[in-house]
Amino acid sequence: MARSRSALVLCMDVGFSMSNSAPGDESHFDLAKKIIQKFVQRQVFAETKEELALVLFGTDSTKNPLHRDDQYQNIIVHRHLMVADFELLEEIENQIHPESQQADWLDALVVCMDLLQTETKGKKYDRLNIALLTNFSTASSSDNLDIIIGNLKKAGITLQFFLPFPLDEDEQGGEDGDSRGPGHQGAGKGLSSEQQNALSMMKHIMLSLDEEEGLDEVYSFRNALQELHMFKRIETRPMAWPCLLTIGSSLSIRIVGYKAVTEEKRKKTWMTIDAQSHQSEDVKKETVYCLDDDNETEVQKDNIIQGFRYGSDIVPFSKVDQEQMKYKHDGKCFAVLGFSKRNLVQRHLFMGNQVLKIFAAKDDEHAGIALSALIRALDELKMVAVVRYAYNRSSNPQVGAAFPFIKKNYECLMYVQLPFTEDLRQFTFPSLENNKKVTPSETQLSAVDSLIDSMMLVEEDENGETDDLFRVHHIPNPDFQRLFQCLHHRAVNPSAPLPPIEPWLKAALERPEVISERCRAPLEQIKKNFPLTEVEKKKPLKTSAQIYGKDSGESDVKKAKEDVEEGEYNLADITEGSVTSVGSVDPARDFCTLVRQKSLPFGEVCQQLTQRIEQLLSNKNTQYYMKSITCIQAFREQSVKLENAELYNSYIQSLKSSVPSRGLEVFWDLLRQDALTLISRDEVEGSTVSKYEANQFLVAEEKEEEAMAASPAGDVGDVDDLVCFHITVICSIRIF
Amino acid sequence: MVMYLVEVELKVLMAEWNAFYHNEDEDEEQEEGEQTSGDYKVTGRDSLVFLVDASKEMFIKGEDGELSNFDMTMQVVRSVYTTKIISSYRDLIALVFYGTEQSKNPRNSFKHVYVYHDLDEPGATRVRDLDALLGDKGEKLAAETMGSGETSLGDALWCCANLYSDIKYRLSHKRLMIFTCRDDPHGGNSTKDRQAHTKARDLKETGVMIDLMHLMKPGGFDVSLYFRDIVSPAEDESELGLQLKPCDKLDDLRKRVLAKEQKKRSLARIKLILDEGINMAVGLYATAVTARKPGAVKLYRETNEQVRSKTRTFQTQTGSLLLPSEIKKAQVYGKKKIVMERDEVDAIKKFDDPGLYLIGFKPMEKLKLHHHIRPAIFLYPEDDQVKGSACLFSALLKKCSEKNVFAVCRCTPRRNIPPRFVALVPQKEEVDDGKVQTKPPGFNVIFLPYADDIRNLDIPHCPIASPIQVNKMKEIVSKLRFKYRSDAFENPVIQQHYRNLEALALDMVAPEETDDLIMPKVEQMDIRLGPLIDEFKNMVYPFNYNPDVKPAAKRKTADDGGGSEKKPKVEVSEEELKNHMKNGTIGKLTVPLLKDACKQFGIRVAGSKKQELIDALVAHLGS
Repeated sequence: MARSRSALVLCMDVGFSMSNSAPGDESHFDLAKKIIQKFVQRQVFAETKEELALVLFGTDSTKNPLHRDDQYQNIIVHRHLMVADFELLEEIENQIHPESQQADWLDALVVCMDLLQTETKGKKYDRLNIALLTNFSTASSSDNLDIIIGNLKKAGITLQFFLPFPLDEDEQGGEDGDSRGPGHQGAGKGLSSEQQNALSMMKHIMLSLDEEEGLDEVYSFRNALQELHMFKRIETRPMAWPCLLTIGSSLSIRIVGYKAVTEEKRKKTWMTIDAQSHQSEDVKKETVYCLDDDNETEVQKDNIIQGFRYGSDIVPFSKVDQEQMKYKHDGKCFAVLGFSKRNLVQRHLFMGNQVLKIFAAKDDEHAGIALSALIRALDELKMVAVVRYAYNRSSNPQVGAAFPFIKKNYECLMYVQLPFTEDLRQFTFPSLENNKKVTPSETQLSAVDSLIDSMMLVEEDENGETDDLFRVHHIPNPDFQRLFQCLHHRAVNPSAPLPPIEPWLKAALERPEVISERCRAPLEQIKKNFPLTEVEKKKPLKTSAQIYGKDSGESDVKKAKEDVEEGEYNLADITEGSVTSVGSVDPARDFCTLVRQKSLPFGEVCQQLTQRIEQLLSNKNTQYYMKSITCIQAFREQSVKLENAELYNSYIQSLKSSVPSRGLEVFWDLLRQDALTLISRDEVEGSTVSKYEANQFLVAEEKEEEAMAASPAGDVGDVDDLVCFHITVICSIRIF
Repeated sequence: MVMYLVEVELKVLMAEWNAFYHNEDEDEEQEEGEQTSGDYKVTGRDSLVFLVDASKEMFIKGEDGELSNFDMTMQVVRSVYTTKIISSYRDLIALVFYGTEQSKNPRNSFKHVYVYHDLDEPGATRVRDLDALLGDKGEKLAAETMGSGETSLGDALWCCANLYSDIKYRLSHKRLMIFTCRDDPHGGNSTKDRQAHTKARDLKETGVMIDLMHLMKPGGFDVSLYFRDIVSPAEDESELGLQLKPCDKLDDLRKRVLAKEQKKRSLARIKLILDEGINMAVGLYATAVTARKPGAVKLYRETNEQVRSKTRTFQTQTGSLLLPSEIKKAQVYGKKKIVMERDEVDAIKKFDDPGLYLIGFKPMEKLKLHHHIRPAIFLYPEDDQVKGSACLFSALLKKCSEKNVFAVCRCTPRRNIPPRFVALVPQKEEVDDGKVQTKPPGFNVIFLPYADDIRNLDIPHCPIASPIQVNKMKEIVSKLRFKYRSDAFENPVIQQHYRNLEALALDMVAPEETDDLIMPKVEQMDIRLGPLIDEFKNMVYPFNYNPDVKPAAKRKTADDGGGSEKKPKVEVSEEELKNHMKNGTIGKLTVPLLKDACKQFGIRVAGSKKQELIDALVAHLGS
């Protein structure tokens, strides 16, 4: 299959007048350069196969094949047709500057046409396009205009113009109702006679090429920047899905379906590379399987079979059997099960992540009529078709609804997946209306009422036409924009930190300013009328980590990450060196290592640890307290892991009893905040302590009223356990 | 053991998350990292005890063959078992009968209480056990094994309390449902009444929710007579639960039980931010999640025990394991490898702190039907986090539905997730005739597409049908009308999968037949439509037009089992291949051709990239 090819020449005016600007505004040159950068960036990241050339005019030097004597001067073919890459981006960034000459834009256009014709000769292209960015401030002669138009037509070359000012007349009130943002005033105003003249020539060209929509391809710089998708982007052509719509056994209509709306994903995933060599081949991920016993006996892949859970049972079920016994069906299908009232299909129960548009088969007039009859019948009756839909034999069939959809210039069915019984969760929530405690008063309701009025994003103007201030479906996915911005930035400046989010993107995601302005007062009213109080956690937890100041000022991201990584590092340390007894430098680590090695009985290791703890506690100093807590944490973790609660529980109990006599209240408080309770039955089967007792345990007698501070201890314990069991063990064991 | 289970719990939750946000974490490693930092609480398991009256009254059949209350209850219990197996097999279920003649309980300390199933995960055998209690045979079996005798609800509740305390797992949600048709179980014996009240109070104090599923009896069921003080008060002040009429229909009972049985678990609790300083706390709930066949478990061949997997990352050259700091991330664009630190990769995805930021409101008709990219989620206030949330939420809900508008918000559900815009669509509470809530009050959160999510289609030419043709189709449509219900269609793929497992688990000869509910009932449709179809066809299709012709050829082959008639395969002979290699023109062959060639020579190729295929072929045929 031949891939569709297209070629584009970006033709930019870098001449003298482009660097002019009103004070405080960006110059035309800067705007045009930005557009080109953005566009090339898009091309690079979309990995389109479209070939790009770059022609500059108004340059100080001249370099183009048409240059003879004084003809076609100050025009440079900067880059010949090729796929866009980072080299081009770097060149644009570093080599394109405003220059001091002027050149005729029509001459530049001819250079572009010549380039396209010579460089695409003998190859088949679907689309040849020239995008011209200029402010039209050079006089040009219209002598050859008709020859140029003739040639453009003959070669099938399309044109796009990008101008610093909007072309007003036809832009407003377009059929699609798209507002193209502010900044439309002033077309015609303040334009020089050269510009006026050039404008009319341009209009002549554009309208000769396409009588009806020619002027749609003229954009202002600002709009082009705002709405990058205004560039003609070559998209992945939606795949046609031909099928038969069937009603009963004998009525079929030939249809074709297309994905119309679907969540577009990032095309590429991150690959993992070695930090030093930057090679992905140097990193290998390996998965091993092991039995869930103490030795973690490794099991070879060949000895692994698959099974499935049926409730509490695990049923071995080989792939072959599974394949043989699985649900099979006849494949591709779009069969009507019946018709139902439209309002019975609830919007919030739409499933899946796409919407298909269903048209009649191409060039089949009869199918078209038949489908039209169905669409219109459904529309008039306010009904939908409930259908069985299967994409092909290997995909699972779905149940879905086909809605009629009638637009001015076309009509189709729209298919959305609906839920299966298994997908639904019938949650009940307490009634809000019947609950007097939360029923809003009249004043409160009217405050909300005026808030809504002030924040309406859709307005109706005098002509009864609505204007939507916030069209989500016109906003580019910020995820992609941000990713590309960062990738671009990193590619061009490898050592610089990542840039902040671009202001235009940030602004595009925010409440429109008009609305912010308008809703200020109503929001004040809301604030006044609705007291909102954060429910205080009885006493903010002061964990040992906080005392150490670990999370001061660091971002949450980092914190969460560190927590995980720390667990990993500890494991890493553990495996290093040989440990024979619990030392005083890092008793917790030694303890864990020894427990793991199993060279000494658990009881003995515990005794060694408790001795160290007692030593540490004899120094009444936070530093030592913290170390002790780490030890106790490790003690608890390992005990739970080995399902031996007895030693730990009895130690902690005796420790508690000694608190008053040894004056360890401060320490005990820390212990309590870290929620190091007794090990309860819920965690280890053999424990004699119930969960309630475990929770109560930490509450020192004199602080009875503060009992049950914050979360039950069990929760915390489990989170720790999770860290222990973190599956990915990345550590530095050297394997030679 | 416990730790492992908790981990699994967490995985289950994560799975729910991923059902929603599956696209956001392409990166496996990251996903693991994020698993631990979710906003939700990791809790234990849910549990459910069915406490069923087995007195004679329960077995009375209605007139004209209506189900007995006992039979009805057993059917519902069975369906809860099987749903649980599919949706949340880790939940624990028990089935206890009271008012029996025989007794069976752990220490046999309670008379007339029969523990049929103690609290445990439901499995295949238990489902079989329940099947035995269905219908007339079931009634007989019940009479033989348990019989009907004296009633002491107090003992029954006490026995249930013991069931809880024998459990070694941590339980997050404890619910006990009493099924009975007797509103005065002890026949006026006040000692027994009091004892039962005390036991019920004890249970409630330990966090057990007690629900009454009262069934129809002649003369009506008077809840206030006795059960009012046994059951847990309703979550709100409406006392909705007690106003319920007794159930006399299977479907009603099923609905009522399912509504109670499902534990709400929020995906996340975040702030709904109207403006700086005006934050409500709200919970996000998944009310519809695509159920998938569960993943396979890996077992050790010898013992059928489950194995654990461990993943290690190591340096290929040196063989040493790599620390996270020794790993970076990269993407290649425009021939350039762009490198980032791991936390930079995360940072790029961060725009906001988690929250729903209000942008403004729009009239309902601005919400386009086809702007759908993911299943919706549900929003409900969390007054216990920010007091006053429920009130403001309620006001907002009321006004939005009055004014017929929806709210547009920017939604960041978790840390390091790029924002999506959502529509908050108001949903008023609805209850059915039996006062069971059918729609909870709150906002449905509809995810809106970005520009990138909408594809440009070349709109084909659309001919328009004439009014006569449309009217004929209207007749057809009207003939095939039915009342769509969202819970009416079971997923045949999942059902078949579980039937298969059931058959294997219980050594059945063949799995039970599954009804494919999403298969059109073609014959019935044809009968209903009668001559309408031909009349319509005559109006729209010319005499010799047959829509099936072209695709029909394809369909036939599909039925024959394989696209043998596809395109005649062009095979490349060994000689040709060698020639290509010699001339360096092998690159001109297409990937399918190369693949076929590989197959032909029995060469196994690791990848499916062109170069990989060529390399393999050259290695095989070269020299």
